[in-house]
Amino acid sequence: MNIPRPSKILLVIVGAIGIGLRSSWRQARKQLGEGLPILKARVALAKANEDLKTAQTELQRRWEYLAEAQRLSHSGTFGWKVSNGELVWSDETYKILGFARETNPTIDLVFDRIHPEDRERLQQLRDRAAQNGMDLDVEHRILLPDGVIRYVHVVAHAGEDHSGDREYIGIVSDITERKRAEEERQALSRDLKESNARLEEAQRVAHVGYWEWDLGTGEVIWSDETYRIFGLKPQEHSMDLAMVREMVHPEDREALYSGVDVELESGVHPVAEFRIVTPSGEVRTVHAITSKLWSAIPGDPDKEASGKARKLFGTVQNVTELKRAEKAHHALSQDLRESKAWLEEAQRVAHLGYWVWDLETNQVIWSEETYRIFGLSPQVGSMDIAIVGEMLHPDDREAVFRTAEEAIRSGTRADCEHRLVRPDGEVRVVHSLGDLKRNSEGLTQMFGTTQDITDRKLAEQALRRSQFYLSEGERLAHMGSWASRDLGIRWSEDLDIYWSDEVYKIYGLDPKNGAPSLHQYLAAIHPQDRASMAETIKMMHEQRCGCDVTKRIVRPDGELRYVRCVGVPVVEDGVFQGFNGTTMDVTGQELLTQELRREQAYLAEAQGLTHVGSWACNLATREIFHSSDENARLYGFDPSQGPLPFELFYATILSEDERVIRPKLENAISTGTDYDVEFRIRRRDGAIRFLRGIGHHNPSQEVGEYFGITMDITDQKRAEEERERLRQLEADLAHINRVNMMGELATALAHEIKQPIAASVTSANALLRWLAHDPPDLERARAAAARIEQDANRAADVINSLRSFYRTGTPAERQIVDVKEIIGEMTVLLRIEADRHSVRIHPEVEADTPKVLVNRVQLQQVFMNLMLNAIEAMKDTGGELTIKSRANQESRLIVSISDTGVGLPAGRSEQIFDPFHTTKPQGTGMGLTITRSIVESYGGRVWATVNQGAGASFHFTLPGETEGQL
Amino acid sequence: MKPAGVPTVFIIDDDRGMRQAVQDLVESVGLRAESFATGQEFLSRQPTSDPSCLVLDVRLPQMSGIDFQRRLTEIGVQMPIIFITAHGDVPMSVKALKSGAVEFLTKPFRDQDLLDAIQQALQRDRAAREQQAEVHGLHGRYQALTAREREVMGLVVSGMLNKQIASEIGASEATVKIHRGNVMQKMQAGSLIELVRIADKLKLVLPK
Repeated sequence: MNIPRPSKILLVIVGAIGIGLRSSWRQARKQLGEGLPILKARVALAKANEDLKTAQTELQRRWEYLAEAQRLSHSGTFGWKVSNGELVWSDETYKILGFARETNPTIDLVFDRIHPEDRERLQQLRDRAAQNGMDLDVEHRILLPDGVIRYVHVVAHAGEDHSGDREYIGIVSDITERKRAEEERQALSRDLKESNARLEEAQRVAHVGYWEWDLGTGEVIWSDETYRIFGLKPQEHSMDLAMVREMVHPEDREALYSGVDVELESGVHPVAEFRIVTPSGEVRTVHAITSKLWSAIPGDPDKEASGKARKLFGTVQNVTELKRAEKAHHALSQDLRESKAWLEEAQRVAHLGYWVWDLETNQVIWSEETYRIFGLSPQVGSMDIAIVGEMLHPDDREAVFRTAEEAIRSGTRADCEHRLVRPDGEVRVVHSLGDLKRNSEGLTQMFGTTQDITDRKLAEQALRRSQFYLSEGERLAHMGSWASRDLGIRWSEDLDIYWSDEVYKIYGLDPKNGAPSLHQYLAAIHPQDRASMAETIKMMHEQRCGCDVTKRIVRPDGELRYVRCVGVPVVEDGVFQGFNGTTMDVTGQELLTQELRREQAYLAEAQGLTHVGSWACNLATREIFHSSDENARLYGFDPSQGPLPFELFYATILSEDERVIRPKLENAISTGTDYDVEFRIRRRDGAIRFLRGIGHHNPSQEVGEYFGITMDITDQKRAEEERERLRQLEADLAHINRVNMMGELATALAHEIKQPIAASVTSANALLRWLAHDPPDLERARAAAARIEQDANRAADVINSLRSFYRTGTPAERQIVDVKEIIGEMTVLLRIEADRHSVRIHPEVEADTPKVLVNRVQLQQVFMNLMLNAIEAMKDTGGELTIKSRANQESRLIVSISDTGVGLPAGRSEQIFDPFHTTKPQGTGMGLTITRSIVESYGGRVWATVNQGAGASFHFTLPGETEGQL
Repeated sequence: MKPAGVPTVFIIDDDRGMRQAVQDLVESVGLRAESFATGQEFLSRQPTSDPSCLVLDVRLPQMSGIDFQRRLTEIGVQMPIIFITAHGDVPMSVKALKSGAVEFLTKPFRDQDLLDAIQQALQRDRAAREQQAEVHGLHGRYQALTAREREVMGLVVSGMLNKQIASEIGASEATVKIHRGNVMQKMQAGSLIELVRIADKLKLVLPK
């Protein structure tokens, strides 16, 4: 370190001032001495004065500078008159010596301050100086009153004062810091030397040499070791750059030196590794570190113009072995790192952690992954096995430790799947394996792995489930997949097709037989679809296009199925590969579609047949929103002509009908209600049709918005008219029927009346013969007469019983009759007759007995007939006459009159209703006939049944009053 | 048991009044009458050996009169029938008469018509019975013939001479004559003519 020497500088400054002054004076004196005129002299004097002033000012200034410089540099000045020992000190000198400004400086004082150890030397010096006036330049210590030791440097020069006495003028500088620094430096230097020595040693030991390289001169300085490294004897010869360069391995030369330049410029400390070739030809690898020994300082004359450092210092180390080892190590290390990384990765990926269980200490060491598996963050250090145990699932804990014990005992591998519970409560399933090992110290350890198989297990489950769903889905969807390779032109020979199981199922074929050939495939197709399918396949292969066809197939068992086949061409990198596709059994859909189409057709047909048109319009604004084709047709318009205006429709209504329906429509519109009107229209072709319009008011819409249907009811109306006519005809026919029946009855009547009359006649004849006897047999005659009366009455009865029938031949007089009343009346009427024949009458009238709309007398007649018949059947034996009346399933009146009498002739239950037929001695044979005709005229039925016990039952039905049919 | 030989009129009519009236009428002329409501009842009463006839209503409950007539023929009852009916259509009457009815009367009928018809019927019946009896007797006689005798008789009434008969049956003429004599005697025929008549009555199948 450069330490400025202020003392020398001060002296120069003082000297300079003095010289300057003196020269001015000399000048002035010279001027005067030359005897110039006074003016010149004055001028010269003035100038000299001026110079003097200037010099004084200058002096002053410089003195101040000096003082400042002194202060700054801790230097003070002094003057010493040797003869009297007088001392003059500057301010700084006072400070340095530690005296107050007021103190009168003396040599003794100075010597007081001098450090006792240096005092003697200084005294000797003083004495010598006093004698010979030599220049002084001495350093000594001073001891300040407060005990502080400081170093000072005194420089003095003896000069003569104006009186010729020796006077020393000098500078005293406090060089304590400098001294200290120097001491440090020396110490450092010592250390440095030591270090250097050690360094050298170290270099040697470490095969590290150092070098210096002067970039300018190319001089190269090497340490011993460097020589050795380069395969030379230490300091064998001096080196220069060129020689060094030569020794560098040719291949590394370029890189090394170009690199150096660059790095130097950028101010980087280059580190280079390169090979060298020793004189013996051995190739060594060296590692050189370069430092710039001198960095560029602005203003430093050492620096070159470009700012580059001029010298380089560095070390070089033979790292050949090191390199080799490093390489190997690096490689190994690399491998190890890689392996470790893979292992870690593998562990992580496989969720496989390892653990080591020291069986003696029961401590466990876990890999990171093991921590993770257990839901913990990776830690360093071991854990107690008990803690591990805690983390196992309670239900599995025992099993796990049992397995471990077993393994330990038998020396076999432990292997179990168990659950663990993470701190957050999550349960995981793991698979643990453990092997017993003796480690290097002979202690037993169990080294094992634990793998988290939870996801795998879940995935397995999910996979199984999804596989199941998939196959189920395929099965349910009846959809399979197929793929065919491109065979080029050979496509017709062999399909070479792959079919999924479902496709086989669809076709009803066995997968074991393999996929069918083209021929076999076409054979499976329905004969009618075969040709088009073959065509499709041909087109697919020729044009390499896809397909989407639905065709019929016939399964081996003969079942017909609809199958939809969708295929797409597969192209990879522009090359056609073949086809992929799906096959779906769409029989269900197809049949459904057919069904649907059929139904749609039926529906359309039905719509057409029923002549019903639909429409939606606003009746108030007469705006039509929708009008079906049928609607137009109903009105006699052509639907293909396009939308028709409301007025067109309305104008077809016959005016008299329009008058009737208009108020109805207006009322509906204003009240927002529905309407149902019938009216006639005249079509364009002149035809008159009956239409019925039903309109429903759309409640969410505005006033007048209706939607509805219009029906052509012409046919119905005609049918009604027809029916009316028919009804009339029927009534007439019934009348004629009755008349005819009367005609028939007349025959029966004739017969029935003939009988009693004929009997009467014969009886009368007999009577006469009896009377003609001699003597007349009066007894017999009387008997005959009695019979005549009887027979006549019988005849009269027949006529009487028919009279009501004749009279009420017209069905006009009907009224609602309560059957219960009739039964009651009949019971009363016939009680006497019944009693006479020991017949008991039981009426059983159910509450649901309907009333009937009939002619009352006719109904009485029916009851009379049947009841009399019943009594007749029981007249010899007596019995029970039961009259039941109720409503049947069709709400009609059904009456049953049962007896316990002689019953019906076998197989004649119908013939008994014929006219003529009677079993009664006094029977007219008409009763049942008339009964039937009456009941049937009301739309009822009469029939007879044989009882399970004794007797017969006669039943008849009549429509209830609600039916009220004619 | 009724007295033998008294003719009986059987009346079948489902109308009681009619039955009684007819019965009364028949009895008023001194004939015996029995009446039934149904044909079945009547059949359960037969037979009788006295001359009788049947007054039958065409319309009967279980069987029409015509059918009943057929039925009677089937079972061999040859009683003469008089039909009475309240109807009176011609086809029926023709049918009835064709099938052997004595008379077909419509009610009301004149009593005399009925009585006449009855007489006629009874007469017929008597005659028929007599004939029957006769035939029966003849038949009895015939039964008494030996086979040979019957053979001879058959040939005799066919007009063959004894000689022919002899060669026919392979016997001597003398034998034939003896047979012939027996036949005449057993059959109580006075002459060949009578024998022929007897053979006729017996309705023998004669050889050619």
